[in-house]
Amino acid sequence: MSEPAPEPRPAVRVTASAGALELELSGRWRRDQGLPDFPELGAGCRVKVGIGGVAGYDSALPAWLHGLGRELPEGTTLDLSRLPAGLAAGVAAAEEENADDGEADRLPFLEQLGDWASSSNRSWGRAVAHIGDCALGLGRIAVGKGKANWAEFSQLLRTAGPDALPIVLLLGFLTGVIMAYVGLIQLGKVGADVYIANLVALAMAREMGALMTGVIACGRTSTAYASHLGSMNVTQETDALRAIGLRPTEYLAVPRLLAVTATLPLLSVFATAAGILGGMTVAVGSGLSAEQYLNQVVEAVSVRSFLAGLIKAHAFALIAAWAGCYRGAVARPTARGVGEAATTAAVLGITLLVVADAVFAVLFDLFGI
Amino acid sequence: MATEPRVRCLDLAVGHEGRAIMSGVSFAVEAGQLAAVVGPSGCGKSTLMRALVGLSEPLSGEAWLLGERLGDLGETRREALLRRAGFLFQGSALWSSLTVRENVELPLREFGGCGARERRLIAEHKLAQVGLLAAADKLPSELSGGMAKRAGLARALALDPEVLFLDEPTAGLDPVTAARLDALILRLRDSLGTAVVLVSHEIRSIRRLADFCVYLDPSTRRMGPVGKVDDLLRPGGHAGARAFFSPGTPA
Repeated sequence: MSEPAPEPRPAVRVTASAGALELELSGRWRRDQGLPDFPELGAGCRVKVGIGGVAGYDSALPAWLHGLGRELPEGTTLDLSRLPAGLAAGVAAAEEENADDGEADRLPFLEQLGDWASSSNRSWGRAVAHIGDCALGLGRIAVGKGKANWAEFSQLLRTAGPDALPIVLLLGFLTGVIMAYVGLIQLGKVGADVYIANLVALAMAREMGALMTGVIACGRTSTAYASHLGSMNVTQETDALRAIGLRPTEYLAVPRLLAVTATLPLLSVFATAAGILGGMTVAVGSGLSAEQYLNQVVEAVSVRSFLAGLIKAHAFALIAAWAGCYRGAVARPTARGVGEAATTAAVLGITLLVVADAVFAVLFDLFGI
Repeated sequence: MATEPRVRCLDLAVGHEGRAIMSGVSFAVEAGQLAAVVGPSGCGKSTLMRALVGLSEPLSGEAWLLGERLGDLGETRREALLRRAGFLFQGSALWSSLTVRENVELPLREFGGCGARERRLIAEHKLAQVGLLAAADKLPSELSGGMAKRAGLARALALDPEVLFLDEPTAGLDPVTAARLDALILRLRDSLGTAVVLVSHEIRSIRRLADFCVYLDPSTRRMGPVGKVDDLLRPGGHAGARAFFSPGTPA
């Protein structure tokens, strides 16, 4: 059986006649055929278009003619009078509908660079402004002038606190186990196994309890806040709040900041206890008694160390909650924007946690805490 | 030779979770015809439209699209059939992370079989047809309601559909924009012979556009009369349909 003959490809022929150019189109003009390049046409002439040789077409033909019309030199016009009425109307209508629309100018490189620089500045500015708004909102609410969405506060407390407890306990316990094993390697060499308790307890109380809980909060709470508030941008719910005279930051962010600040320190206490328990499991497995271990813990962890951990936990709570609320508030109102907000909230939150932890380490050292 | 209607339904019943909200729907739309499915809010217009395209299963009856019975088709065949139809959603449903041009180009990229230049030319032409060429690089969130509707229409037209389903295309638009959109729909129908099924309760648009109306009667949850607007308004006609088209006058 012979193969069907290939469809004639779309082609253009330009001829000159009686002061006008003639554009004769032929072949089958379909979008999957590949369209010919626009011909070079002189300025200030009239171009008659004919499709006598066209064997068939879909929207590729009016699209090509429309594209050609937009590329014409100054003073050159297309004469579509020889086209079938429907086709000519389709091309002409596209031109009419857009008669007033100019091409958007592309910015020169330096201006683009300037735009980028000022948008980076704006980004920092927005972050600072959001912190200011949060602080102002907290202040207004404290003096009874602000409005926050207290209706969802209990739910916020639950999701930030009890819902996170299992993962906090698990990771806290495992952190204690890991630290105990690491401690054993070194302390076991000098027969000081009993000091595993001191190492684990002090590290968990001062450092790891708060830090691990903060990281967990960034991973689950910040991202949740960012995607929730970002979605509200998409559906214009944030605008709707503004429209009725509410301040979105005050109304939405302040309850979240308070919910996380109320629950995260408690979670860090649980994480610390779980870590100490994890260390004890390893210590008992290596021959230490539970009583010995606990005695060492009580001796190692002073009230001051415990309070240092709690202070950090409060700060980390504010950071984790703020990162989520901020990224959500500035999220672009698109599906992708919401995804980016969630990702950047986690990254921003964890980065700020580590920076803050380093600052605390220096400050605690300076003040002898 | 009689041609197969582009859209046909026979005794169709549609609803949610097994409960019919509209039943007994039968009509056919030929090439170059524009049928308006009308009725008060909540009578099942959009649900019927989804069933006509196969986006939801009817409870009973038959829906035919471009000569094929939707219930008989496998997933692949149904998807191929849907590419020959265009759908403008009530909320425009533009992909929010793509620009307007990319929204129109996406069906062409996936199913148009054309190269980047052809895709761009066709997308720009479609956008020009709806008067949105200057907004081609905007994101949907930067468009007004009317612009989003027009962008949705440009996207629906991307693959030169043989049937166009329009769900409330002019709802919420100002009269001037609505009239322009109506004129565009008529031009498409006339120049391309597209069959159009329009769901609307905008009486002005229905009067301008519809070759015939299918009235869905929420009081009986069954299809009411089918005919031209003037026929439905005749004295002694269906009371609900008359009240719908002449609000404020006794039925």
